[in-house]
Amino acid sequence: MRFLRVNMTDLTVQDEPVPERYRDIGGRGLTSILVNDEVPADCDPLGPNNKLVFAPGFFTGTQLVNTSRLSVGGKSPLTGGIKESNVGGTVAYALAKLGIAAVVVEGKVAKPESCYQLIIDQDGGAQLQECSRFCGMRTYALVEELRKIHGEKKSITCIGPAGEMQLLAASIQSTDLDGRPCRAAGRGGLGAVMGAKGLKALVVDRGGRNAIELADPETFKTAAKSFAQAVKADEFSGKILPELGTAALVEPINAAGAFPTCNARSGQFAGAEKISGESLAAMIKERGGQTTHKGCAQCIIDCSNVVVNKNGEYVTSSLEYETIWAMGGMIGNDDLDAIARLDFLCDDIGLDTMSTGVAIGIAMDAGYRQFGDSAAAIALVEEVATGSEIGRVIGNGPDAVGRHFNHGRVPTVKGQSIAAYDPRALQGMAVTYATTPMGGDHTAGWVVAQNLEAFGGTINPHEAEGQVELSRGSQIHMAAVDSVGICDFAQSGLATPEGMENVRKMYSARIGKPFAEDSWPELGERVLRAERDFNRKAGFTAKDDHLPSMFYTEPLPPYNVVVKVTDEEMENTFQF
Amino acid sequence: MQVRVKLLGTLPSLYPSDYSEAGLQLELPDSTTVAELVGVLGIPPERVAIVTINGVLARAGDRIPENGLVKLMHGLAGG
Repeated sequence: MRFLRVNMTDLTVQDEPVPERYRDIGGRGLTSILVNDEVPADCDPLGPNNKLVFAPGFFTGTQLVNTSRLSVGGKSPLTGGIKESNVGGTVAYALAKLGIAAVVVEGKVAKPESCYQLIIDQDGGAQLQECSRFCGMRTYALVEELRKIHGEKKSITCIGPAGEMQLLAASIQSTDLDGRPCRAAGRGGLGAVMGAKGLKALVVDRGGRNAIELADPETFKTAAKSFAQAVKADEFSGKILPELGTAALVEPINAAGAFPTCNARSGQFAGAEKISGESLAAMIKERGGQTTHKGCAQCIIDCSNVVVNKNGEYVTSSLEYETIWAMGGMIGNDDLDAIARLDFLCDDIGLDTMSTGVAIGIAMDAGYRQFGDSAAAIALVEEVATGSEIGRVIGNGPDAVGRHFNHGRVPTVKGQSIAAYDPRALQGMAVTYATTPMGGDHTAGWVVAQNLEAFGGTINPHEAEGQVELSRGSQIHMAAVDSVGICDFAQSGLATPEGMENVRKMYSARIGKPFAEDSWPELGERVLRAERDFNRKAGFTAKDDHLPSMFYTEPLPPYNVVVKVTDEEMENTFQF
Repeated sequence: MQVRVKLLGTLPSLYPSDYSEAGLQLELPDSTTVAELVGVLGIPPERVAIVTINGVLARAGDRIPENGLVKLMHGLAGG
């Protein structure tokens, strides 16, 4: 395996063997440790000293299912701290099969009006090509052009106008198995970093044949097979996700009073049933779209979908729970067609649906537009692409909108919006949002299920007791999961009695060394230590591990709860 | 008493009789509990993770009011 070092200042690409320090790690572990090692924490995230690192998971490219996850790392212009943003699709698998453990993009183009594409061919050779004629192009049109030039069998990872304008909610979009740029590394504004560097797209050949070196292929194969069987046998990953997609969460989270509605003024949305997974699946089937759609290479869950309009024409793909919340409940919109259109526009312009939806919700809360006005929401997202003043405000995310309207109800942590779980109704998520080095981020430590066992659960979602320990354990675990590249939704493969043992066997079979029971949490801690170290050097203190005051002072209907985890408990979540 | 029941996620496939998206209208003894309702429906209790009565979270022993709307939901995972 090797690194590709791409220097955007002198427009060179260099190959290097993976340095010893990074040989036993991948994904988030690799991006975060490398960023902490090589990026000055006080640098301008949009300047030449930041680096943008693309790394497949450590298991990506092996025969283990559901490992086509790419970690994108760097210093975030949105949070000012370290960032790992994670995306599925085809690119991670394509890179791994070319023997590439990481693409490290450094420097910055001399001419800001120019942009380049990085082309990686079937033999793993890489070159930068100037492509300024594509400047300003939206992602769907760009991908169509690039596929005409380079052929169909390419994975394309790119930015849209939002990234080129270096807006803080800009995403990096990546193509799915159908070649659509509908998968997003959305969080943290890394699209702006890519735009600042002058890199419009990575075009990666999908025909690589590099076999990931395994010290013990037979053990790996047996454990991988057992893992896959567990993913298939599990009710959520084997049945619910294929049938309903992640939108299956709308009704349960709304029932728990944890569905942030109208800029988190309520925990229940009156229109939830209209935008639920059940309603979405029924609409898709009636119109001839696709549920049970495979979006990522090596996937056996098929949680993606293809949404079509009443005429059966394509609208968007992989419409997910978090987007349905951000463009639905959070802005008071119960129109699934409008949500699907907003999802497409964000993918096309290159925007994080979550930061953008929350930004619009704050603008509505400030009285700029009315909650539920989906036409206004669509117009605001279109404004982003035009580069107008209000468009840039929305495109710079929730904090920028709060400042613009002098509106104090801004549900962000370290500058990044919370996700579709209100921390007042699920206090474990309060701890995760407050203490993860990523800023408000649900995937860093998703402790929803443990808080919602209506039949005999042990954690009271409205109380502080046990939440810090729960979140800490989950964050350490997830840092390891994100490093091996296992999809969040395939964690059912880890949940069986032999699940973690299978993962340890695979790790050991990959590196040719023992991987003990403690090695997994040690891996997660190693990653978190690097991330927290970077953030400290960037100026973060314990005081940054708090939530905005609205979550402590405004009781959330219908259960009228506030966050009860104290500042001191938050600050002591991690002892390193 | 009359009770309306909606099954979400994969629970309709576990209901032994026909189920339509509009839900079920059932005649039950007064003060029936959530656990008793699950028994009447014939759905394995371990497959039911979240229950609401009139939009508010309920537990197995909670009694269902006359004309209540009960939603039964599947378990959760992922993020």
